[in-house]
Amino acid sequence: MAAFMRLLASERLKLSRSFIWLLVPISPLLNLVLGVLSNEIEGTPAEQYEVLYSSMALFHAVLLLPILTGVFAAFVCRYEHAGGGWKQLLALPISRKSLYFAKFWLVSELLIGVQLLFLAAVLITGAVRGLHEIPWNLMLPGVLGGWLACLPLAALQLWASIGWSSFAAPLTINVMLTLPNMLVINSAEYGPFYPWAQPTIAMLALGSENYGAFTMPTMNLFMTIIGSFLVFFIGGLLYFRAKEI
Amino acid sequence: MNEWVIETKGLSKKYKGRYAVSGLNLRIAKGDIYGFLGPNGAGKTTTIRMLLGLIKPSSGSVHIFGKAMQKERLAILRKIGSLVEYPSYYGHLTAADNLEAIRRIIDAPKTRISEVLDIVGLTKEARRPVKGYSLGMKQRLGIASALLGNPELLILDEPTNGLDPSGILEIRELIKRMPREHGITVLISSHLLSEVEQMAGTVGIVRQGELVFQDTIQNLQQQAQSSIVLRVSDPQAALLTLYEQGLDAVREGSLITLEGISDAAAAQMVNNLVTRKHEVYRIEEKRKSLEDLFLQIVGEGGHA
Repeated sequence: MAAFMRLLASERLKLSRSFIWLLVPISPLLNLVLGVLSNEIEGTPAEQYEVLYSSMALFHAVLLLPILTGVFAAFVCRYEHAGGGWKQLLALPISRKSLYFAKFWLVSELLIGVQLLFLAAVLITGAVRGLHEIPWNLMLPGVLGGWLACLPLAALQLWASIGWSSFAAPLTINVMLTLPNMLVINSAEYGPFYPWAQPTIAMLALGSENYGAFTMPTMNLFMTIIGSFLVFFIGGLLYFRAKEI
Repeated sequence: MNEWVIETKGLSKKYKGRYAVSGLNLRIAKGDIYGFLGPNGAGKTTTIRMLLGLIKPSSGSVHIFGKAMQKERLAILRKIGSLVEYPSYYGHLTAADNLEAIRRIIDAPKTRISEVLDIVGLTKEARRPVKGYSLGMKQRLGIASALLGNPELLILDEPTNGLDPSGILEIRELIKRMPREHGITVLISSHLLSEVEQMAGTVGIVRQGELVFQDTIQNLQQQAQSSIVLRVSDPQAALLTLYEQGLDAVREGSLITLEGISDAAAAQMVNNLVTRKHEVYRIEEKRKSLEDLFLQIVGEGGHA
């Protein structure tokens, strides 16, 4: 465990002084601006808050969150792909398994950072608009569920990023597969099984919008998320362990 | 007890039906500098990747410090410092931070960073981002990272690749000090014999994945036999005289060449020629250079 913490500390040092940290607050800031500037919402203050959260979450989770997930996964492998870094790193006394865990841990850390900042952005927007009835039972599960729903995608993207020495290739594919999200989430049949759509569904699953993939029971959604997470995470790990460096 | 720091038995690696490395039996003694030689593509880097457990051998075994690589990889790697092909670094970080990233993993004392920076002479540049470094400085940083964990064995893959002559000299001096001052065994690969002959105690030469020579550098030098070249007034008659003496001589124009003859035979030969009234204009000794021999061994030098 101590060795794993040291490995994490080393990985964090590598990411320090890189622009990756600037990407963490991007979506929350955009949402903050849009939330503050958007039109008057109708309904009771409680309803207003729920609509505010839902519209911000939709904007955040449909495009930016899946894309960021891919960027983070690619970024934690970036320095290793440049100039034989994998060789140097794996010639050190660390197992591939713990390195893989550390890389994944870092991606999830960055993602939870994004989610918490997003939550802060919603709260600030609410305060600016003079709304005080914070729908915690909607927002907390949404934000944390959104984070959990990013993890299968993060594992898949990490797998692709380890396998591909190009930084841009897994990102391009990620963006291409994120774009159909708006259509996919309307499908109750396919939406929950589409890793790029899962964050959106999770963030809005408990929301007021009852159409398409959002109608499915929460339990089913999380079973799907956990299932696909295990498949992608274990697949990536097995791939990494067998990879010739 | 195993006296070898590195010992491989029948080490082989097959890629798509073709052997990149085949049946390698390396033996590297403690405190030695082992020059691992061969032309590009002979299988040096593949071998080193197997020595570091980065790839699995198709067959054969690697033992380092008497331990099997397949079973005790992490325990072995804890005592190895390595530099594989190009030095790897995080360009946006300073040299000190690059070393710190590795130090956190191997849990070396913090003071070790300034020590290794001092050993490779990068103390003054330690606070600059590495992307502004020259190739030689990056290479030295690579060696500093390899030294960070106080290794007992250094594995350096082409550490002088792409360096200018003064950079090569610098690295060479640095490596020569390792066994002497720190008791470290060194394996250094190169495609040039001249680069390692001044520091290596033992050389292993690979050609097309096979080890074709492994012995001390002195024994290699002895193999680089000398030949005697004569220029005489009547080469054809002189040749007959030499044949009578039982010498294996070859005539090329006005020159006669004799391979590897003893001092006694040479004295006898001169005496014979002089008593038969041959005029001997020149007696020269031609030494085959180590480089010629190396090229001959790796099968590239047609002129050797």
